[in-house]
Amino acid sequence: MSNRSRIFGSKRDRVVDDELFDEAFMRQLELLQVIARRLMRGRQRAERKTRKVGSGLEFADHREYSPGDDIRNVDWNVLVRLNQILVRQYEEDEDLPLRLVVDVSQSMAARGGHKLRLAKRIAAALAYVGLAGLDRVGIIAMSGDNYTTLPALRGKGRIFRVLDFLRQAPTGGDTDLRSTCRRVAAESRAPGVTVLLSDFYDLKGAFDGLNLLRFRKHECICIQVLDPIEADPTRSAVRGDVSLVDVEGGASRDLTMSPEVLERFAEAHEAFCKRLESKCRARGIPYFRAYLDDDFEDLLLRVFRRGGVLR
Amino acid sequence: MSFAGLTLAQLLLPLGAAAGGVTVLYLLKMRRRQVEVPFAALWAQVLRQSETRKLWRRLRRILSWLMQLVLLGLIALALSDPRPESWLRDARTVAVVIDTSASMGGRDRDGPTRLEQAVTRARGELEALGPNDRALLLFAGAEVVVGAPLGAGPAAMNAALDKVTLSPGEADIRAAMSLARNALAGRAGPEVLLLTDAALPESQRKYLDACRGDDPKQACRIGLSTSEPANLAITAFAARRYPGDREKVEVLAQVHNLGLRPARALLRIEADGIEIGRVELELQPGASERKVISRLDAARDRLEARLIPLSDDPDSRYSLGPGLDDEAFAVVPPVDPLDVVLVSDGSNLFLEGALLTLDDYVRLDAIGPEAGGADAEEIKNADIVFYDLGTKMLPNPLPETNLVIFDPHRNPDSPAPIALDKELKRPRLTEQDRKHPILRGVVFKDINMFRGTSFKLEPGDVPLVSHLGDPIVALREGRHSVLQIGFDPRQSDLPMRVAFPLLVANTVDYFARTSAGFVAALSVGASREVALADLGMASRDCTVVRVTDPIGHIHALAVQQGRFRMRATLPGIHQIEALDGEAAGSVAEIAINAADLQASNLVPLIESVDELDEVQRAGPVPPPVPIDQGPLWTLIILIVAVLSAAEWASYQRRRSV
Repeated sequence: MSNRSRIFGSKRDRVVDDELFDEAFMRQLELLQVIARRLMRGRQRAERKTRKVGSGLEFADHREYSPGDDIRNVDWNVLVRLNQILVRQYEEDEDLPLRLVVDVSQSMAARGGHKLRLAKRIAAALAYVGLAGLDRVGIIAMSGDNYTTLPALRGKGRIFRVLDFLRQAPTGGDTDLRSTCRRVAAESRAPGVTVLLSDFYDLKGAFDGLNLLRFRKHECICIQVLDPIEADPTRSAVRGDVSLVDVEGGASRDLTMSPEVLERFAEAHEAFCKRLESKCRARGIPYFRAYLDDDFEDLLLRVFRRGGVLR
Repeated sequence: MSFAGLTLAQLLLPLGAAAGGVTVLYLLKMRRRQVEVPFAALWAQVLRQSETRKLWRRLRRILSWLMQLVLLGLIALALSDPRPESWLRDARTVAVVIDTSASMGGRDRDGPTRLEQAVTRARGELEALGPNDRALLLFAGAEVVVGAPLGAGPAAMNAALDKVTLSPGEADIRAAMSLARNALAGRAGPEVLLLTDAALPESQRKYLDACRGDDPKQACRIGLSTSEPANLAITAFAARRYPGDREKVEVLAQVHNLGLRPARALLRIEADGIEIGRVELELQPGASERKVISRLDAARDRLEARLIPLSDDPDSRYSLGPGLDDEAFAVVPPVDPLDVVLVSDGSNLFLEGALLTLDDYVRLDAIGPEAGGADAEEIKNADIVFYDLGTKMLPNPLPETNLVIFDPHRNPDSPAPIALDKELKRPRLTEQDRKHPILRGVVFKDINMFRGTSFKLEPGDVPLVSHLGDPIVALREGRHSVLQIGFDPRQSDLPMRVAFPLLVANTVDYFARTSAGFVAALSVGASREVALADLGMASRDCTVVRVTDPIGHIHALAVQQGRFRMRATLPGIHQIEALDGEAAGSVAEIAINAADLQASNLVPLIESVDELDEVQRAGPVPPPVPIDQGPLWTLIILIVAVLSAAEWASYQRRRSV
C-alpha cells in the first residue's frame, strides 16, 4: 500500500479472503440451492436443456414421415384429423456448460475489494446451484493482465475446488473486457451459458465483450457489480482540491471536488450503466446490477428467475 | 486617532511572523490530496467540461491568502486599541439654540430655508459629540421651547430636530440665551451655540454683542443662516360689514415688500375658504401698499387674506418669502337686527307689512298711539320709531331716537322737529332727490293724494321730495335723525305702489348705517388687553373666559372689569367663550395675525460671519465621531470573526473522512 491517502476506502476496510466463503455463506448456498430446486419443480428433468431435437421425452416438434422412421412416433391423431402422416420429435437433454467469468482487475479490487468479493460470492453461488443441478461449471478469473481458468467440473462435491479457485485467484491489471471475452470465446469448446461478473468500467469495450460472446452462440448473462459510493461520489466525504489517480495506472489529474463536479460524475455514471443495460436488453442479454448494499439472496433469486440460469 | 494598546514596533514582529506563517500554510495547501478512483476514464470525460474554471480556482486561493493577511492586519489594529480623538478630549456640554422666528423661513431660490440650514448645522454638531459630551436643544421663537433636555440621546435630539417648525413673531433671544446659560451652569466645558439668521430687532442686538464679550459666562458661538431677504408680508388686515347689507363686507389689507427686488403677487380674500375677491399687487422694494376692497360678498363671519404667487411670474413665489406673514385673518361680527317700533292705530297695514318684510333686519314692535310716548318701554330701546298716527296727536316730547313721522303737522302744536310751512291741497310729488339713499330705486310718479303739508327747512335739512318746490318729504340728520313725510299714506295711493315698501326699506337701511360693526385683529406675540364689550359680549359678572386656538388647544383666562389679557402665539381665528356671568355661554371670535413688520423683516443685523470675531464664530461643522461609545477593538474583532466565517464558508468547507 502506498503512502497516498485512499479516500475511497482505508486499510481497515480490507476483506480477509479467508472469510470470503465462511460457514454462514455455505449455509446460504444450501438455502439457495433448495430454493432453486423449487423453482425448477414442474419440469420433467432438472438438467440444462438445449433446443436440440433428439430422443428425449418432451415433445419438441412435428415433421413429415420419412420411410424408415419409427412408426411409434407417428402422430395418429394428426393422421385421423388431417390425413397427414407426421412424426413427433422430442427434445434431447444435452448437458451444456455453465461458465462463470469473474473480472479480477484492479478496479474491482479498489475500496477494499468489496466488489470483487461480491462478484466471487455470486460466482460461488451460481456455481453451487449449477453443480447441484448436475451441470458442468467452469470458472475464469480474468483481467487485462490475468487469465486463470478452472476447467469445467460436475457434481456438488466439487464446490470446494470452485471456492478454492475463487479464493486464490490473483487480482490486478486493467479492465479489458473485449480481449478477455475474445479469449473466453476462443477457448470454449461449447458455447453454453456464460455469466460475466464485472464492474464493466471500460468505456470502449464494456459491451463489445458481451456482444462477441453472443456472436459465438454463448448465452450471456451480464451482472454489473457496483459500489454505491463509487457510483455516486456525492455520498462520499471528498471535497476540495484533490489529485485523482487511476487504480489501474495512468496519469493523475488535478481537480477541485465540488458538489457540482460530484453530481456531474454521478449523472455520467448512471448514464453509462443505462447505456450498457439498454444494449444488453436490445440483444436479449439479461442484465443485472448488483450493488454492494443489495440483499444477497434477493439478488441471486432475481438472477435465478430472470437470468435463465435455471431451466 | 490614537492607539492605547500595543505600538507598531511591538506589533511588527509578531505580525510579520503570522503573515509568514499564513503564506507558508497556503503554499503547503498547494499540495493536493491524492484520491484513487476505479473509473478514471469517466472522470476524465466529466472533467473535460470544467476546464474553463481553472483560472478562477487558482485565483480563489490568492484571494483567500490576501483575506487572511487582511484579517491579520485587523487583529493587529485591534491589539493596538485605537481610539478616536473625540474620546480623549475634555468633555463638553453644548447648548444649541435655534432661532425659529418667522424670518428663518427665508430661502434663496431652490435652496434650503434658513431654519433648514440651522437644523443641518445642529445635526453636524450633535454628530461630533463624543461619548463624554452632552447637549441641550432650545428652540427660540416668541416662546422658548426645550427641544431636547440635557443628556437626551441622539435619537431624541434628532427627533426634536425633525419636528422643529417656524413660529410667528420675533425670537426671544434673551430668554433663550438665559435659559441656555442657566442649564450649562456648573457643567463641564460649557458652550452655547446660537444658530440664527440675525434678522432681529435692533433691541436684540445686544444679546448678540454679548457673545463678543470677555466674560466667559457670556461666551457663545454664532452660526449664521443666510439667504436673500425677500419677503412680501401682509402687515394689516381688517374687515367691516355694511350695516345695511349684511351680506357685503369691506376689507382693508396692507402689504409690504421687505425684499430687495420688486415683487408681484395676488392678494386673495376668502370667506370660510371661498374666494370672494382678489387684486393683483406689484410693489417696489421697501414699498407698502394699502388696498381697500369694497362690497365683497361675504355672508359669513370669518375672512382670510392670502398672498398667492402669480402663475405667470416664476419669481413671484420666491418674492413671497416665509409663509407665516402671507396670510391674515379678520372677523366681522354679525349685525343685530334693528329694534323698530311702529306706533300706529293699526289701520295702515301697508306700512306694517312693509316693515315685516324686513324681518331679518328688524325686530318690529307695533304699539298703539296711547303707548307711543318717549317713556314707553319699547320705545326706550328702539333704534327707529315710525309714527303713523293719522289724526292722533304725536307724543310730546318725542323719543330721543331716529324717527319717521307720517303727516306730522296733522294737528296743531305738533312737536315734530321740522316746522310746518303750509298746507297743500291735492299736492303732486313733482321733484325728488333720486341720488339720496332713501330714494334709491323709488319712483314717485302720478301719486295721488288728498292733502299734504310742506315743511320749513333749516340749514342742514335735506328736501327729498317736493311739490312744485315745496318740500313735502324732508330729512333732518343729527345724533338722531328724523324723516318727516308730509302726508298721510291713507290719504294717498302711495301704499299701493312699489315705491312704498322700497321707501320704508331704504329708510331703515339709512338709519342702520350708524353702526359699522368692526373689531380689530390682534397680533401674535406680546400680551394684549381685550374688552368683552368689543367682542359684543356683556361684561357684567364675567370672571373667566375660555380661549380655543385654531388647533384646538384650550386655556382659561381671568376677566377683570370686563377685560382680559390675551397672548396669542398662533395666527388664526380664536374663539372666546364666557364661562360665567350674564354672558355665560356666549361665544365670540377674534382674529390673531402675524402682522408684525419687524418680524417679517428678513434683513439681518449681521450679514456675514466675517463680521463676527473669530472666537464667537461657529466655524465649520466639526467632523462626526465615527463611534461614540464602546471600545473600538471589540468592533474590529467582530469584523474579523465575521470575515473569517465568510471566508471559511465560501472556500474552506470540506468534510473528510
